[in-house]
Amino acid sequence: MISRGLSTTCRAAAACVVVVAALALPASALGHELDPGFLQVTESEPGVYAITFKVPTAGGRRMPLQPMFPVGCSETSPMTSRPSGTGFLERWQISCDGSLLGETIRIGGLERTYTDVMIRVELAEEEPLSYIVQSVDPSVIVGGEGQGSQGALAYAWLGFEHILLGIDHLLFVLGLLLIVQNRWMLVKTVTSFTVAHSITLAIATLGFASAPAAPLNAAIALSILFLGPEIVRVWRGETSLTIQHPWVVAFAFGLLHGFGFASGLTTIGLPSGEIPLALLLFNVGVELGQLVFVVVILALERAFRVLEIYWPRWAEMFPGYAVGSLGAFWTIQRTWMLLGG
Amino acid sequence: MTNRTRTLTAAVLGAGAIPGIADAHLVNTGFGPFYDGISHLFVTAPDILVVVALGLLAGLRGPTTGRTTLAVVIVAWTVGGLTGLALAPPVVWAAATTVTFLALGAALAVDREVPTGVVAALGLGVGLLHGFLNGAEAATSGIGLVGLAGSLSALAVMATLITALAVTWAQGWTRIVVRVAGSWITAIGILMLGWLFRPGA
Amino acid sequence: MTNRFRYSAFAATATLALLWPLFAWAHEETGQAAGFVSGLTHPISGLDHVLAMVAVGFWGAQLGAPALWALPVAFPVVMALGGMLGLMGIPLPGVEIGIALSAVALGAMVVGEAKPGLPIAAALVAFFAIFHGHAHGTELPDGASGLYYSIGFVIATGLLHAAGIAFGMVHERPNGPVILRAAGGLVLVGGLYFLWRAIG
Repeated sequence: MISRGLSTTCRAAAACVVVVAALALPASALGHELDPGFLQVTESEPGVYAITFKVPTAGGRRMPLQPMFPVGCSETSPMTSRPSGTGFLERWQISCDGSLLGETIRIGGLERTYTDVMIRVELAEEEPLSYIVQSVDPSVIVGGEGQGSQGALAYAWLGFEHILLGIDHLLFVLGLLLIVQNRWMLVKTVTSFTVAHSITLAIATLGFASAPAAPLNAAIALSILFLGPEIVRVWRGETSLTIQHPWVVAFAFGLLHGFGFASGLTTIGLPSGEIPLALLLFNVGVELGQLVFVVVILALERAFRVLEIYWPRWAEMFPGYAVGSLGAFWTIQRTWMLLGG
Repeated sequence: MTNRTRTLTAAVLGAGAIPGIADAHLVNTGFGPFYDGISHLFVTAPDILVVVALGLLAGLRGPTTGRTTLAVVIVAWTVGGLTGLALAPPVVWAAATTVTFLALGAALAVDREVPTGVVAALGLGVGLLHGFLNGAEAATSGIGLVGLAGSLSALAVMATLITALAVTWAQGWTRIVVRVAGSWITAIGILMLGWLFRPGA
Repeated sequence: MTNRFRYSAFAATATLALLWPLFAWAHEETGQAAGFVSGLTHPISGLDHVLAMVAVGFWGAQLGAPALWALPVAFPVVMALGGMLGLMGIPLPGVEIGIALSAVALGAMVVGEAKPGLPIAAALVAFFAIFHGHAHGTELPDGASGLYYSIGFVIATGLLHAAGIAFGMVHERPNGPVILRAAGGLVLVGGLYFLWRAIG
């Protein structure tokens, strides 16, 4: 009992530091406004390219992004635009004087955002090429070497980014860490969260089921809020189903979070052959990011113990309250949005 | 902790330290200013070397010195950072930041017993100086207060982990490993000074 | 949670933290990365350097504590002083001869299993370290970042010592001392070859 109390103390203290850091993140990173864009360029006949551009929204508005093609290209069919999921799907056609190979494609407006755009180019008689461009360098040379994250690695990078910027997912994991009591339980809990969100991520990506964004975000917020009172029970030495079997809760809510991760992997326009690989690597990126987070928290806890740092009671309790109150705040905010507020 | 675990950790850390390098002071992670601030600490070699040297120096002297120095350096770095952010002077002071890690590395290699107050005072000076330059850079590079918060979080986490690591390594042969690390840091500092004062620089 | 487990997690994190710049590096200009890599490869590109560094480790293993660790602590610092002279363009006569001589001298010490007092051993190693550092200092490639070159260069040197010490551990095994002395003989022969080239 004593050792449990001490362990909880240290863990709470460690979590405190991270929560403060997390709160310093820009507001734009909260609440999943950072879905990546996706540009598909397919050569349908020599010199003619079908363009599909999925533009993410920020605060409900289309982000001001515009693909820019080499000088010799011109639009040959008018653009159609329709809302799709969390963004807009735009399609049009261009024709170019020569091949796009070796030419530069640029995403105009990207340098003023924190979003990524994934670019996929399918030229006739060439292997498909994929790139991720970011605000640092919003252009790629088609077929060029050594530019940013390319090909398969690009999907893993997207996943890694998605979890590190998804404060709500991280807070949920933090809440679980505050509840688990020993090593075996930790392993079980983290594993079941991983398995659960991988299942729904796969289901959503493969198109078997989908969750509308607004209710989903509200439900994810609710899952964080749910953990708040459980953390308080741990402090009081009480017990509950969640405290005895945190992996059950991790699994159940993990299913929800998986649908959330799916929003980070834009698959519209991806050839069906590439989806399994994209899914796998995106998931690997998510798990890596989650692992980094968990390991940093555990290591900090260990460091506080080694250095014999003990926090005042209010500081110890802060992370628990942060999980609970942020969960509550997001639940109210997202429910309000859901109701059309 | 078994001897084997220690050997393993030492090997892994040694290997891990190799790529811990890069110069340019701002790397755009694409993740926003907070993460840019975090990466700033890791790509600014004098900062990371000074954090490593100070953390190891304080940690070798036990939990009390480690804890005290940690608190002092984090507060000093924050105060320096906010000052630098407010004043935003376009300075780099490469020689000064080289001397700080050179001196701390030497103190680590020599490994003499010194009172907690002395180590904490070193932490104060180093934190103010490096923090000030960090803040100035956050201002001139445009990552601002959020970026500085990122750097400070990374500093706090790094310093805590390294200090605690040194506490657990204070006994036996791992203490030698820490001292050798100090001598390497000093050597890097000496070479850096030579480069800064090379003819035609 | 057991202590061991926590410790591993803790060490793993510290490692990850140190590895983090790898990610940042992907975005770096090539100049700095090139500086680091050339610093890292420089000490291992010349066999005369490698022989002498490894011999320091061999000799340390023969001498045992405190020389075993005092030499690797002292060597990088003194070598850096030599490197500083080189960087600042202060000339040092007979650098190539000094380096070759260091391999000869250190090889001879290992062959003879010579055990002078620590001050003498340290002074001998330090004297030669100046020549090694100077050679590296004057050969800094144009346009490379001094800081990253230095870091790579110190790490490579340290790893060569570590390799020498690790091999030197055979000293504790049966027949180990003979094997170690034979390895010292190879260093001595190599040193003589480089000496002949440096003079000739």
